[in-house]
Amino acid sequence: MTPTRGGDAGSQDPDRDSIERIRQVLIRAVERHCPPALAAHREDLVQMAVLRLLERPRSEGSAPRGASYLWRVAYTVVIDEIRRFRRQQRQTEQLPGDEGGTPGPEVRSELLECLGALQDRRRTAVTLHLQGFRMGEVAAALGWSEKQAENLVYRGLADLRACLEGGNT
Amino acid sequence: MSEPSDDLERRFRAALPDRDDPECPTADAYWAAAAGELPFERVRTLVDHGATCARCAEAWRILADVRRAAAEARAEVSDPRPLQSLVGDAPARFPMRTRTLLPLALSAMAAVGLWVVLRPPAIRPPPVERGSGNASTVRAESAEVQRAGDAVLRWSEVPGASSYNVTILTPDLVVVHQSVGLSGREFRLPESVRQRAAGTGLLWNVDAVMPDGRTVASPTFELRLGAGP
Repeated sequence: MTPTRGGDAGSQDPDRDSIERIRQVLIRAVERHCPPALAAHREDLVQMAVLRLLERPRSEGSAPRGASYLWRVAYTVVIDEIRRFRRQQRQTEQLPGDEGGTPGPEVRSELLECLGALQDRRRTAVTLHLQGFRMGEVAAALGWSEKQAENLVYRGLADLRACLEGGNT
Repeated sequence: MSEPSDDLERRFRAALPDRDDPECPTADAYWAAAAGELPFERVRTLVDHGATCARCAEAWRILADVRRAAAEARAEVSDPRPLQSLVGDAPARFPMRTRTLLPLALSAMAAVGLWVVLRPPAIRPPPVERGSGNASTVRAESAEVQRAGDAVLRWSEVPGASSYNVTILTPDLVVVHQSVGLSGREFRLPESVRQRAAGTGLLWNVDAVMPDGRTVASPTFELRLGAGP
């Protein structure tokens, strides 16, 4: 029986400064990564998430309570809030996929097909890298050394480019 | 490292289909993956999903930002900044008030030297076991591979625990069963769960509930069900 690898632990109680800092980070992240139609509501979304965060009973979930736990819960509530917001928007507007920005099927399939064709470890490392994870973060998520992660990302990116170039010729 | 793949990042983000997928993993599963709490196969499944779903890709990118900010916040807590700023200021003032500041600067340097030797390990996204971080972490005591017909989950005792909660998940991190308030340290898999797990395996974890309401959480364990009644 092998336990999986460990995660975060924290040691501090939340305070007003921590909450405010988390709020600012979430607002910036939503603004940076969400489509404009949704990012326009970032203040409201994050405010709702922070309220939910503060309303959570202290006995909920698992130990430990601390700074890391607070960031984790903040992340999960804001993603939940974004999902809820989209569901509500869809129900009221009856406009599926209205945020736009998705390209034609040719472009989409070519890159994703090449990505999907990569060897497992390289694909996972490259995908995390393309999602904005740094080498140390890729390594931490996958339980590898930073050197291993770097190697797999480099090789995976090279494979991806080769596949794309091959497809274009 | 990021510059050479900027174009690929843009193309990747633009290529993701924007769809409303009710099977999207939970945000907490993404956090657990990024925190190194899950085995590679589970992380791979979650990452692959993010490569087929614009909304989950968005969740991954927000996750990267949030975890980075959390790590910076932790680093600041452990950073003895006043001491560093004192040392940083010393050279500029040295020529003007040498006699008063020299002993101070020397003391500061000695303190820095002492700090370098005795400082606690740097705080990183740590390979810390899920749980309280102390010795009372829950361990699995049942086999990882069991016959489907009589599969039982067993775990080690947490001293002082008043009860245990067991959560069973699919490899895609969908919760299929939860039992709370168990007084014993074993749990027999219900028939419905065994059927659902056939051929795919399961994940499970245990929360030990302490009398004061705190919980001590186990890591996540794997269970594979072999052939048999």
